[in-house]
Amino acid sequence: MVNEFIDGIVEAFALLFSLDPEIWGIILLSLRVSGTAIFVATLVSLPIGSFIALRKFSGKKFFTNLINTFMGFPPVVMGLLIFLLLSKSGPLGSLGLLYSPTAMIVAQLFLAIPIIIGTSKAAIESINPDLKETILNLGANERQLWWELIKESKKSIIAGVLVAFGQAISEVGAVMIVGGNIRWNTRTFTTSIVLQTRMGEFGMAMALGLILIIITFSLNYILTHLQMRDK
Amino acid sequence: MNLLEVQNISKDFFKNDDSTQNVLSDISFNVKKGECFTIIGPNGSGKTTLLRILGLVEDPTDGKILYLGKEMTNLSRKEKTKFRRRISFVRQKPVVMSTSVERNIGYGLRVRGVEEREIHQKTKEIIEIVGLKGFEKKKARSLSGGEMQRVAIAMNFIIDPEIYLLDEVSANLDPKNITLLEEFITSIKEDRQKTIIMSTNDRMEAIKFADRIAVLNNGRFTQIGPPNEIFISPKDEFSALFVGYENIFPGIAEIDEKTGLNQVRINDIVITASSRVEGDVKVCIRPESIGIVKEPPKNTSYRNTFKGQIENIRDLGNICHVIVECGSERFLTTITQLSREKLGLNKGTEVFINFKATDVKLL
Repeated sequence: MVNEFIDGIVEAFALLFSLDPEIWGIILLSLRVSGTAIFVATLVSLPIGSFIALRKFSGKKFFTNLINTFMGFPPVVMGLLIFLLLSKSGPLGSLGLLYSPTAMIVAQLFLAIPIIIGTSKAAIESINPDLKETILNLGANERQLWWELIKESKKSIIAGVLVAFGQAISEVGAVMIVGGNIRWNTRTFTTSIVLQTRMGEFGMAMALGLILIIITFSLNYILTHLQMRDK
Repeated sequence: MNLLEVQNISKDFFKNDDSTQNVLSDISFNVKKGECFTIIGPNGSGKTTLLRILGLVEDPTDGKILYLGKEMTNLSRKEKTKFRRRISFVRQKPVVMSTSVERNIGYGLRVRGVEEREIHQKTKEIIEIVGLKGFEKKKARSLSGGEMQRVAIAMNFIIDPEIYLLDEVSANLDPKNITLLEEFITSIKEDRQKTIIMSTNDRMEAIKFADRIAVLNNGRFTQIGPPNEIFISPKDEFSALFVGYENIFPGIAEIDEKTGLNQVRINDIVITASSRVEGDVKVCIRPESIGIVKEPPKNTSYRNTFKGQIENIRDLGNICHVIVECGSERFLTTITQLSREKLGLNKGTEVFINFKATDVKLL
């Protein structure tokens, strides 16, 4: 077992430095899928999160509960729902998206939206209410107030977005179901690690795991840097 | 026409257990253009809530606010922004945005779509006025409380609004910053002729700037009137205890070159003061500093002696308040019950009042 571990590490470094095209394909696809999903999710979630935070409306409590529930939604179940939606007999089956990178983007998008809505809502709600009123009293309209509050809470919002990205890129169940883990097409870090491990190809699995760890470590490094910068 | 009319405003806040807490009830008053209307009341009496309602950032539960005859309470968000831009609000605890001093000060102009070049020019001018030169690029949040209050003043001053709402702005400030703040209030009141609605705990501040004072207790106005009326004839025990008594007269002070004494003309009487302040002043004399005698005093060191007639006597147990009418003015004095009996003072009795030039405070 110890030998396998050491062999795995040696092989991992060999693969990484040999610029193996399959490994690089997997890295780029994973980044593209999760990056696109998080980018779109941010565009959708920021206005919704700030709307819920800033406005008083009936059903606000219900929405908040709903978002909190979906923040911890099991990814496998999300994968199943998207699968049913996109499968040939499903309502969106005619689009032919199942087992494509787009299907994986959609699954990660729906997993990320509640996380970004929830964190941006909390970030804006935690701003001193006197600051909101001061901005209004200085003459800001609704849009200008919104933009100012986003700027005020940018660190927390960026933190939320990075957390969502970290979850998306390391998620396995949903992308496996809707992507199908097709070589050169929909194979990501996580689905590949699962497959390689099953096949006993520990070197490949560990090389991918190592890169995944480096990516998440870099994200956290950026996060800490952002949070420390203005102090 | 009144600039602002407030009609029967009330405010209830919902608490977590779904019960309500009444913060303001049945508040009505009008404010004319250029007037300084001061709300005086203890902590928790509802001053800040009332100012937030007037600043259009909080809706009243009931009642109306008319701004130049137009009702504010049911406006659309867009229209509310339009009217909010004519009012500014300086808070007791200033809050600033997490940008530089310069960006904070220019914010009000920036949201109004003013050109960057003009914003830069005006910001530069205001920064000099409030004494923040050299602080332009600093993070506004890193400043001390007094410096931050200066930023807040500059943020509002630069907008040049019609109405200034000032919420206990001098609380927690050191003397240097209080002087700056008073210069600021004087400049918007006298030079810019702006309308001010301010709340305060400080009676001297109220006397100094107010054209009219409203006493707020437990969410209700107990009395509204000019300062001399509030301080001489408090309507109820609360006003009397909280506001205290004071003789206040608006007058014009001029130092007599021959005698070197400061002579303050108040309608048809002239008061001698030791203070060197000249021009438009408010004369303040504490009731306990005024003596009362029946015969004209001889060889007295008191610079001020006036003949008058007792208009009213209020019995307060061991002491009593005597209101003496001297020419055009009414003076409030405090004497003990014993002296009153000794002197045989009654309503209508002719008396002389006297006080020292050093007991006359000029604001």
